[in-house]
Amino acid sequence: MNPTFLQISDLEFSIGEASILNGISCQVPRGETVGIIGPNGSGKTTLFNCISGFNLPSRGRIIFDATDITAVSPHTRALHGLGRVFQNSGVFRELSVEENMLTALESRDSLIRKFFPARSHRAQRRQLAREFLSEINLDAKSSHKAGSLSGGQLRLLEIVRTLAFGAEVFLLDEPTAGVSPRMKEDVAGLIAKLQQRGKTILVIEHDINFIQKFCQRILVLDGGRVVMDGPPDTVRSDRRLQEIYFGNKTQSES
Amino acid sequence: MSFLQALLTNEYYIHLVILICIYALLAQSFNLTFGLGKSFNLAHIASYAIGAYTTAILAVDQSRSPLPCMFWSLVLSGVFALTIAIIAIRLSEDYFAIGTLAFSALITALLVNWKSLTRGVLGIPGIPRPEFSFFESQTFYDNFNFLGLAATVLIVVELLLLGIFSSPYARALRAQAEFEQGALAIGHNARVLRTISFVLASAIAGLAGSLFAYYINYIDPSSFSLTEMVFIITIVVLGRPGSFWGVNGAAAFLVLLPEPLRQFDLPPSILGPMRQLIYALILFGVVFLNRNKLWPRLRRI
Repeated sequence: MNPTFLQISDLEFSIGEASILNGISCQVPRGETVGIIGPNGSGKTTLFNCISGFNLPSRGRIIFDATDITAVSPHTRALHGLGRVFQNSGVFRELSVEENMLTALESRDSLIRKFFPARSHRAQRRQLAREFLSEINLDAKSSHKAGSLSGGQLRLLEIVRTLAFGAEVFLLDEPTAGVSPRMKEDVAGLIAKLQQRGKTILVIEHDINFIQKFCQRILVLDGGRVVMDGPPDTVRSDRRLQEIYFGNKTQSES
Repeated sequence: MSFLQALLTNEYYIHLVILICIYALLAQSFNLTFGLGKSFNLAHIASYAIGAYTTAILAVDQSRSPLPCMFWSLVLSGVFALTIAIIAIRLSEDYFAIGTLAFSALITALLVNWKSLTRGVLGIPGIPRPEFSFFESQTFYDNFNFLGLAATVLIVVELLLLGIFSSPYARALRAQAEFEQGALAIGHNARVLRTISFVLASAIAGLAGSLFAYYINYIDPSSFSLTEMVFIITIVVLGRPGSFWGVNGAAAFLVLLPEPLRQFDLPPSILGPMRQLIYALILFGVVFLNRNKLWPRLRRI
């Protein structure tokens, strides 16, 4: 029906004189997992901010599920099904683990229901929260403050919270930054579960070895442009990748 | 029980309990915006003033009965908050506090200078105690009966707030206070959530202002100065922001705190400043001890 789920065309974004994104275009079909790599300052997070609505692009369009969302507010985009997992963790540390799940499950309720939830609703939500938490082995910690969780557990909780909220597209910004190697496997396992459920995933990572295992495609950003776009094997063996990451530009300049 | 009877037959104690009711209303509503939502709304005292003046003007100049007076106090204070929200909700953290401070100053200036309506610094005397037609046997001229009215209002409002504090709405409000983008990313409309908290809190402050005007019978701009705002902040900070019972306890504690001083036969010129000093020291001490906890650490995306 609509093979392109998320379409970004000619996206530009600048802060004052500094242009961060210089015409990024890409199309992501439903169910695909796309890895995004690039050196620091190449515009990866800014691209995510534009997609989720925290930065308004100065040019270009973002079309999601056949709707132009370029100028739509962040929370409305989220309700459309765009899920964002933040680099510095978006978990609410002052809330308990369970409350983090509940507030995600409750965000689609009407305002009246937010003030006066039905009794049956409450029990049902808590049950649902427990089921999601058991998927990441955090059900025993549901009453703990989320701030007491480890870096890896925070990632898992935020991804599951985004899933519970009902996201179709997951924008994962460095989901393994500051995560122990063992937990890294858990994050990979959870991403695999998202794939099984047919979710569309865009993931920013520095570790190409980590993402090539589960990405169908890798975008390489540099200087606010897409410089490479292809299957992991092709991108990995491309000499330009070395140049971008290690600044070995002598050959390309000549 | 006899102790309670002795307590409540003493006019002065009744006076103190009525004050506790009024300050509990003010503090608990401030607790909704500041405690849960972490929005530092310094115009809260202006909402209280609007409520008090609305009741005073309607009751004295228009001879309106108490229910419409209280109703309009509540509504106008709510509308005032809505106006602030529409203008200032875009401002974040410190900027919001400064913006609301400007609104507070604006209301004070109006109270002092719009003399045809507010009678300026002279204030409005002779506000009659409320009389309800369905309470024929009781007049609220009697302080004991007025305490009944104030306590009823407090209990109704607190039951409402107790429900709100544990509702999904409060959860979302706390979430957006900690990390606004995080709340937006799961579909919460943070500005609407905050606006609702202002309007609710301001309406409650307006109701408290109405009770205050009826109780004191005379109001002037000095009752709604920033010193009062500092007192409300002290109550909420001492009671722990976001804690429903803590703030109730702190309201009672801080209203009663200066009372032992009266035993020392100090002249009023010393007693007044001494109270302010005690409150200021408590506020400073509690803020100092909680300096890492009062506001969440800002997160960047």
